[in-house]
Amino acid sequence: MSPGFSRPVPLSRRSFLAGSAALVALGAAGCAPASRAAGGGTGLRFYLQKQEVIAYFGELLRRFEDERPGITVVHDSTVAIAPQFVRNEPAGVGCFNDNLELARYIKRGVLGDLSDLPSAQTVRTDIDELTDQYATYPGRTSVLPYSLAAAGVIYNKKIFADHQLPVPETWTQFVDVCDELTQAGVTPIYATDRDTWTLWQGLFDYSVGSLVAPGEFFRRMKELGTDVGPDSEVSFEKDFAVPMERAKVISSYFNKDHAVRAYADGNLAFGKGQAAMYLQGPWALSQIELVDPDLEVGTFPLPVSENPDERQARVNIDLGLWIPTASQHQDEARELVEFLMRPDILNAYNADNLAYSTLIDAPPQQDERLAGLQDYVDRAAFYQGAGTFVPTSIPLGNYLQAAIRSGNFDGMLRQLDADWRRLAGRGATV
Amino acid sequence: MTAHATLSLPTAEEAGPPSRRPAGGRRVEPVYYLFLVPTLLVFTAFVVVPALIGVFYSLTDYVGFGRWSFLGLRNYAALFTDPRMLESYGFTLGFALVTVVVAQVIALALAVALSRRIRFATTLRTVFVIPMVVSGIVVAYVFNFLFSNSLPAIATAVGFGPLEESILGNPDLAWLSIVIVSAWQTIPGALLVYTAGLTSIPNELYEASALDGASPWRQFRSVTVPLIAGFILINTILGVKGYLGVYDVIVGLTGGGPGTATSSVAMTIFSGFTGGDYAYQMANATVFLIVTALISVAQIVATRGRAVKL
Repeated sequence: MSPGFSRPVPLSRRSFLAGSAALVALGAAGCAPASRAAGGGTGLRFYLQKQEVIAYFGELLRRFEDERPGITVVHDSTVAIAPQFVRNEPAGVGCFNDNLELARYIKRGVLGDLSDLPSAQTVRTDIDELTDQYATYPGRTSVLPYSLAAAGVIYNKKIFADHQLPVPETWTQFVDVCDELTQAGVTPIYATDRDTWTLWQGLFDYSVGSLVAPGEFFRRMKELGTDVGPDSEVSFEKDFAVPMERAKVISSYFNKDHAVRAYADGNLAFGKGQAAMYLQGPWALSQIELVDPDLEVGTFPLPVSENPDERQARVNIDLGLWIPTASQHQDEARELVEFLMRPDILNAYNADNLAYSTLIDAPPQQDERLAGLQDYVDRAAFYQGAGTFVPTSIPLGNYLQAAIRSGNFDGMLRQLDADWRRLAGRGATV
Repeated sequence: MTAHATLSLPTAEEAGPPSRRPAGGRRVEPVYYLFLVPTLLVFTAFVVVPALIGVFYSLTDYVGFGRWSFLGLRNYAALFTDPRMLESYGFTLGFALVTVVVAQVIALALAVALSRRIRFATTLRTVFVIPMVVSGIVVAYVFNFLFSNSLPAIATAVGFGPLEESILGNPDLAWLSIVIVSAWQTIPGALLVYTAGLTSIPNELYEASALDGASPWRQFRSVTVPLIAGFILINTILGVKGYLGVYDVIVGLTGGGPGTATSSVAMTIFSGFTGGDYAYQMANATVFLIVTALISVAQIVATRGRAVKL
């Protein structure tokens, strides 16, 4: 085809047709493995879009194919989960963050029951119960928890040591630590308001979690629905008043330019030792490591009451396995789930990826950056963040941004109640 | 078809005697339809039909999959009592109005300046067009950096208090940043249209008016503006339509914040797709479609007949 550019008529009809045919054949060959296995076996689609571990799971899938000839697994890493369900062509097996988004699929019964799988019995019940907090479908175990992420206050061990500060165990101690850091000219907490999710994930969730159990609170809120208000049994305005007093105090220790800083700025600044504490989850640790691999950091749960025993860690089921009811190869899909749930594979994944195993009698997470939270995970002294129960149609992060600036957290809570009533009115709380 | 008929009739009348009119009345070359059909098909299949499907789902509680039930106008009723929706409409309309004025005034001024025989006119014209070819989200992130870091640093250095804090973090000023970036990005397009308009004005008119003693300002008011009124209309309609749909620039600059101070209608509509609020936001999208269409029609009606033909 190359002479086509230099001379006017070298492309004969025959060569054009031949070229087109070759292209079509190439295209067909390229598509083939996606729809059907080369050897005539079963082709299974595995959906996982968590950017950091796509390669990791790629290798697991190859291992599965080696152990189980006849099944070919294609990795689908499309970012959005909805299209496959909208087209009614869901993946054979899905592995996704167990959050409010997945809850919509659970609630509408498009994910099949996994309770009869042998591996379902190996999952810790206290972790299994977490999945029910967002939504359930009667009589089904729709999701098998695969990986638990635990988050708290990430702190710079060197700064704490330099100023001889202890890890705070009560709210008063925490405020004292912040005051001492401020007096020493150190920014106590680095915040990144520009990425609003960081505000609810850290400030909001940590302030609430150890004072009000989010799972129970939102269960009642959903029951109340449109009746939520100043006089109802539970409400944002009433139950979150004290937590938001805490949040207001905490936000007074933020870096001066917190309003315009983004998540990436935060990782960079904390990595450079520009602040003593950072309200982020384990996902930030790998980013901080890129800035300074030798930085000594640890994690502790934020104390928001005067009783050290009330401290809890914020957790989320970072990955959970599910099989859509519309999946065409149920048996093969179950085989893949069983393979991935094998203790050696599941525990290794979590050990390698700064997360916690969901299985009974699993070995502890060895990474010392996370060691401070191990005990809380073991004792199930944890909660799923309150912010994760708020549907994204309520711009919680933006509200927090405004409240931090104005100091009017009460107004924000009334706004949340009003928004909740509106959402409940059109059945959109899940 | 009606549009075609109304367009062709005046030409026939201008031609005077019925010599040019075919015996059968309104016979049109079939080839015109041939040109029209592919566009019509594609437009119908990919714009009209999806829009109608969307309008239908706005009457339900559909989330994109699974079962749904018919709600009638409940989503619309909820929409009109939702203060956040009204706020986003207020912001979007106000923003579009301010930006279209700012952008058109600057674009017209630049076009007039560049139409004179000044030095480097061609080079400058090329330079001014560059913002148009850069993607909006990229422009927004670059300006985000300038507003967050450079501007406060400069303000601190010269001791100018009000700007030491980034305007992106200030709910009362953040909208200005969006106006600035949107205008910066859309001025080149308007500039090109105005340049084309200005070159269509015959030089004799300026010479004649100069002989009559008209000042440059008078020439601009009485010759230039009436003759490019059609171009102003096009730019304004396209501009307002574009600004009403503002999305990427806001995402890159403020993310709708601080608070919800700069949340546009397009952003709230999009939030419905991830938030399980699909049907409700489809109702929002339908209302927005009607609002946008009404504004465009109003603009056309308001400016009809103002343009001067030579």
